[in-house]
Amino acid sequence: MSEFKKERIEHYETLLKEIWTASAKYLGMVSVNLLIERVVWEVSLEYKEIELLQYDQNGISCARIAAGLEENPDLPVQDMFKKFITRYVAILAKLLGHERAEEIKNKLKEEVAGVSFSCREE
Amino acid sequence: MDKLITGIKNFDYILGGGIPVYSLNIVSGAPGSGKTIFVQNIIFNSARSGLKSLYLTTISESQFKMVRHLQGFEFFSDDLLGDKVIYGDLGFVLRKQGTDKALEYLTEMIKKHLPNIVVIDSFKAIRDLFPDEKTFKAFVFDLAAALSIWEITVFLVGEYEEQELTLLSEFAIADGIFHLYGQEEKRFQKRFIRIRKMRGTSFEQGEHLFQISPVGIEVYPRMRPEGKELRYEVKQGRKGFGIPDLDEMLSDGLSEGTITLISGGTGAGKTIFALKFLLEGAEKGEKGIFLSFEEPAAQILNTARHLGWEIDRHLAEGRLDIKFISPVELDVDKHAFEILDMIREKKVERFVIDSISSFENSVSDLQKYKDYLWALGQQLRRRQINTIFTAVNDDPFSSLIVSKTQISLIIDNIIILRYVEDNSHIKKVLGIMKTRGSYHNKDLREYEITPNGISILGKLDRADMLR
Repeated sequence: MSEFKKERIEHYETLLKEIWTASAKYLGMVSVNLLIERVVWEVSLEYKEIELLQYDQNGISCARIAAGLEENPDLPVQDMFKKFITRYVAILAKLLGHERAEEIKNKLKEEVAGVSFSCREE
Repeated sequence: MDKLITGIKNFDYILGGGIPVYSLNIVSGAPGSGKTIFVQNIIFNSARSGLKSLYLTTISESQFKMVRHLQGFEFFSDDLLGDKVIYGDLGFVLRKQGTDKALEYLTEMIKKHLPNIVVIDSFKAIRDLFPDEKTFKAFVFDLAAALSIWEITVFLVGEYEEQELTLLSEFAIADGIFHLYGQEEKRFQKRFIRIRKMRGTSFEQGEHLFQISPVGIEVYPRMRPEGKELRYEVKQGRKGFGIPDLDEMLSDGLSEGTITLISGGTGAGKTIFALKFLLEGAEKGEKGIFLSFEEPAAQILNTARHLGWEIDRHLAEGRLDIKFISPVELDVDKHAFEILDMIREKKVERFVIDSISSFENSVSDLQKYKDYLWALGQQLRRRQINTIFTAVNDDPFSSLIVSKTQISLIIDNIIILRYVEDNSHIKKVLGIMKTRGSYHNKDLREYEITPNGISILGKLDRADMLR
């Protein structure tokens, strides 16, 4: 695995951990993990490797994705994670209602710099 | 908050626009209360708006039977089955594979079909498949959590009694509770729906009548008086009967936007006075509706023609409408709402109910009748519609009794018609008891109704006639 991809995965893992923590404050761990399960399923229709994402009540980890990258170095990691995060926030927005989601989106923006959030599905 | 529009007549109105999307709702009621039809009506209406529903039966009713029963309803369509309305059997999974597999099956079905609505019918029936309340409770909470992340509006249907609604664990997770029940009233077997809880939206409280017709479910919202003070613009104009002497007694007619009661014994001419009021309005281009619970439209037409009134012209030109509802069919829960609908639709300026005594007789609960009348009065006043209620006085020779119930509080003007004896003759006498905010003549005047119309005669000169 190239150093660049390793860095990207580390970067996204940090983002996901922040999202997980920020969302858990609002939704609780059970709901957050169920939501992640759903998003994993949706993204897996395009990127099977997202199923390697590990999450439980203790948090979220990309270690298995990083390990899997050794066998599949061409995986467009950036696109996969962007889709995951965008979809996660879009669903969150729908489930919480747009006003509440706007608050969470802003909170996530504060905690997760550099990711574009959309409250409505394109 | 986005709403799921149910498309059920008047139900979305009660809910302030619809059911909040992604809510988990319980539809409860005894067997035969209409729960399944209610939910099926919603999912077929939603299907026509492009929404997909997953309907999971358990162990209450076979899908085969259910679909067969639904075919008689207009909302049902074969074309929507399999595409927008998908049936599944959760009961089979529960029985054959155990309760642990139920959530898995549900999630798989959701992933496969991506529905907007999920129904489990009957949810109560699956309680017995769990070894104890604790296990069922855990399942209920897992189910609620699992469904909550799929952007799905959920309906759990169950044969719950009203007292169970606060006791069982499934109600703790519900965002909305719709309770359906039946009740025997004087002449009708009635169905009611009550929204016990609805998070995320304000709703009309209390019991609302509904009926199951070939169209499906039709709801008639409960009419209730508003608690807040009624504020409306008071108009200065007058609206007359077109009977010169009577209009003079009323200081040029009734005040605009007021409610008038014409009370009298049978045959005194209440219907004729009220009809004349509408015809006078029609002459001036004002729309009017005569709502009769006493005489069929044909009989009213004959009476008007006999008096030489041009009723046919006004009917043809759309300035007058006569609606007849048989007193046998009169159901105040349903018709009170329809009356207001009719008034809104036709934009009427003059309105008659002949008679509110029939209205009163159709209600078993006197307080309910007063509430209806008060609410109706508020709505009519707000719309500045000049209204006449006629009321039957059971004793035509009695003193000036207005009506059995104390409705005078909502009435602005009262006109009394009564019989008197005079030298072996029966005479008719008219008196104005009250006109709100304006002067009226206090004389008791004799009147007669002849083929030339209504004539107000001289003042009654023998006071002992009132004894």
